[in-house]
Amino acid sequence: MKFYKDHYDVIVIGGALAGLSSALMLAEKGKNVLVLERHNLPGGIASSFVRGGIEIEAALHEMMSIGDKNNRLKVGKFFDDMGVDIEWLKVPEAYHASLPGLEVTLHPGLETFAKEVDAVVPGTYQKVLDLLNLCNTVFDSVNELSIHPMSKAKMLIKHEAFVKTAGYTTKEVIDSFDLPKKAQDLLAPYWIYVGSGFSDLPFTIYSVLMADYVGYGSYIPRKFSHEMSLKMAERAEAMGVQIEYRQHVEKILVKNGQAYGVRTARGDEIFADYVISSSYPNKVYTSMIEPASAVPEKAIKMVNGRRLSLTAFSVIMILDDTAENLGIKDYSVFRGDTMDTDALYKDLAGLGPYRYLTCICHNLGNDTATPPGTCSYSITTLPRVNGWKTVKAADYDKIKHQVAKQMIDDMSAYLGVNLLDHILEIVIETPMTVNRYTNAWNGCIYGYAHTMEDHIIARLQTAEEESFIKHLEFSGAHAISGDGMGPAVTNGRKAAKNVLDTMAAEEASK
Amino acid sequence: MKIKGFLKDVTGASRVTKARLEAFAAGSAKPETVDPIAEVVKEWHPKKFDVVVTEIRDASPTAKTVRFKRADGQKLPYFYAGQFIVLDFKIGESIISRPYSISSAPYQARQEDSFAEITVRRSKGDGFIADYINDSVKVGDKFQAMMGCGQFYWEPLRDAKHVVALAGGVGITPFASMAKEIANGTLDFDLTILYGSVSADDIIMKDELDALKSDKVHVVHVLSGDDPDWKGEKGFLTADLIKKYSAPDTTYFICGPQVMYTFLREELKKLDAPQRRIRFEVFGQAKDITTFAGYPQELKDKTFRLTVRRGIHEDVIPAKATESLVVALERAGIRIETACRSGECGFCRTKVLSGSVYVCPENDGRRAADKDFGYVHACAAYPTSDITIKIPIE
Repeated sequence: MKFYKDHYDVIVIGGALAGLSSALMLAEKGKNVLVLERHNLPGGIASSFVRGGIEIEAALHEMMSIGDKNNRLKVGKFFDDMGVDIEWLKVPEAYHASLPGLEVTLHPGLETFAKEVDAVVPGTYQKVLDLLNLCNTVFDSVNELSIHPMSKAKMLIKHEAFVKTAGYTTKEVIDSFDLPKKAQDLLAPYWIYVGSGFSDLPFTIYSVLMADYVGYGSYIPRKFSHEMSLKMAERAEAMGVQIEYRQHVEKILVKNGQAYGVRTARGDEIFADYVISSSYPNKVYTSMIEPASAVPEKAIKMVNGRRLSLTAFSVIMILDDTAENLGIKDYSVFRGDTMDTDALYKDLAGLGPYRYLTCICHNLGNDTATPPGTCSYSITTLPRVNGWKTVKAADYDKIKHQVAKQMIDDMSAYLGVNLLDHILEIVIETPMTVNRYTNAWNGCIYGYAHTMEDHIIARLQTAEEESFIKHLEFSGAHAISGDGMGPAVTNGRKAAKNVLDTMAAEEASK
Repeated sequence: MKIKGFLKDVTGASRVTKARLEAFAAGSAKPETVDPIAEVVKEWHPKKFDVVVTEIRDASPTAKTVRFKRADGQKLPYFYAGQFIVLDFKIGESIISRPYSISSAPYQARQEDSFAEITVRRSKGDGFIADYINDSVKVGDKFQAMMGCGQFYWEPLRDAKHVVALAGGVGITPFASMAKEIANGTLDFDLTILYGSVSADDIIMKDELDALKSDKVHVVHVLSGDDPDWKGEKGFLTADLIKKYSAPDTTYFICGPQVMYTFLREELKKLDAPQRRIRFEVFGQAKDITTFAGYPQELKDKTFRLTVRRGIHEDVIPAKATESLVVALERAGIRIETACRSGECGFCRTKVLSGSVYVCPENDGRRAADKDFGYVHACAAYPTSDITIKIPIE
């Protein structure tokens, strides 16, 4: 039986947001694309599941880079352009910050946000707004330069703020604004979405994070992230992409330093001119390239020289009462007993107790999230893999429950309601869960850490020399734009663009 | 603008690029091939593996307990008491899979002599795999297995410390597993099993269960048949009987035949138990799909053309209106992966490309967006026209 065509232009390994974005863009250019996904549905962790008859979001807190219908940001625009028609719901607030001495709900809009900070820490309006405006200027530059690169000299004139902040950490730039500590704390909660402490987080990344989320707000699909993943997959198939589920790619076939196909666990050898891998470079270079001798030592040194970013630990519950009755007032709460991001980052290397929690109640952003009389509530922390790598199978269940209990108790104390008395359904997601369903290396959902040693600008500058296998591209959180569902789409598009550019260049040189 | 000084400000990009290259140069040249997170996953949720039957014994005059171990000598995976195993049976040209609640305890899967057991009752004519197991399976037989499936287990963060299990017939198996684990001291809650059978002869695993009785495990047999010699509880598992064995805060676990579910749903309404305290095991494949609301009766004798797309390959097979798409595929020898066979787990998620189906309302565990795009769980979907579906290549 013949299940595959003799040849594809491109094989995409992994049918999550990045892989599907690659597929959509390539299909739009008329390319013949095959997507191989090991799970039986698209999306990776951008998914949902059904428990006790109730559909539950698996991972998405909020999407960045979507924007209002009339003023789309890049990801929202990409979906529109591709004909992926998602019902986006705007998340009502930026976040509620629950920090020592602070209980504040902040809303999107740079000026609104600055005013709300000023209401709590009087006299900070102008400085906070200046900082947010600086973020916004850098954000605009990043977006423009990602499409239209230019010379350094020209960049300094046209993108001064971007150039001049590029070499600094978030802490260094924020410190230069001389803000009171409380105001600084209120500007920090989103840090967990990029996963590095401020003394190591490039200000460039912080800028994008703040300008995008605070400036434009965030969005969720009405029917959970599965709506987004499925609509991307359906659209891709309508455009001629072949998507095959339950196909686990074990090997990427390489000849003369160039990828030419893959082999699946089933034993199918499938051929293509290009391969795009959502599998981590760590996995690809250490066990997927065939022959292994095609992997240069530099590639191994590179993956070993990079620090993996965060994984996920999430307690997801369906509660047997409404958010209102349970005293849940905000869509998202960031709660910490400190806002010292460096100290928090250090803690994330352990197995808890975790001191920084993100809580989401989907019902407060989506009136159809759960059946009447119930609500969903998730408590998440994003640990580093260090601690979890030491967990043995025999202790896994105990540790998982201990950590979950601590998180539930912490939020019960905050809400003044014992959540344990209201659980209809509970699912505890761990790094192991992520690995089980996506095969992500170390269960890592964030790719490589955004640090001063692995700066996005440096990633862009050295991208070409890090292309160790010809006609093999990477897309996913481990690619240049890093973590997050919005950046996953950008990463997927970039991989497709690289393929299209190489195709054009090789065509031209013929 | 100025952050620290012109020269330092404008050389940032070069500085970070240099830092990156230095970090990579300092990286180890030794490939790290083992992912410790994936290693834990392998022990909890391994891919399918072969098991070999090591022992078969009677669990009642009409039921057998089958013990097996992993064929490769490794230990069986971790699981929670109450979960099921999926076994693949090769019968003729077909591979047919079935879920069975594991009747042995989790600790027995992890001890030196690692094993697991299922207990299967001979059917009354409608379960040909159940009969196959009772009649034809022998020591040394090998099957493919997938283990640690299902949501029917005691979750310490959710469930009450006092549990009343309502079991009917072979539905005793998940509770046998829980009782054994409690007896071993590795699961800690108070379990009272109200076990309904027709006659004393029908009680499955009676000796085993009675041997597990302790201050934490209580087994109450309830006979519905007319037996003048029976001194214990009689009748059905009524609200009054259930109340008698309940504590103020009790979680009810229910596993048994479909008629029992219908009965108990009404009885449980008479208790004041909140919804979160009532947990039914999945419904199982509908015994007779034509009895469900909205089933198009006029089609029940029809057989449709089912076009099955796998990759670019297509097959056309017959599909009876009263049999699920999974059954049609298995009859035709086309492999489809299933687990719960109750529409819940989504293993058999299938796209209907054209044509129509009836979905069993008891077993509709689909995601909302999946419904919008014509996806079905093939174990719970019945053809109502000629249809074309796409399924994964196995």
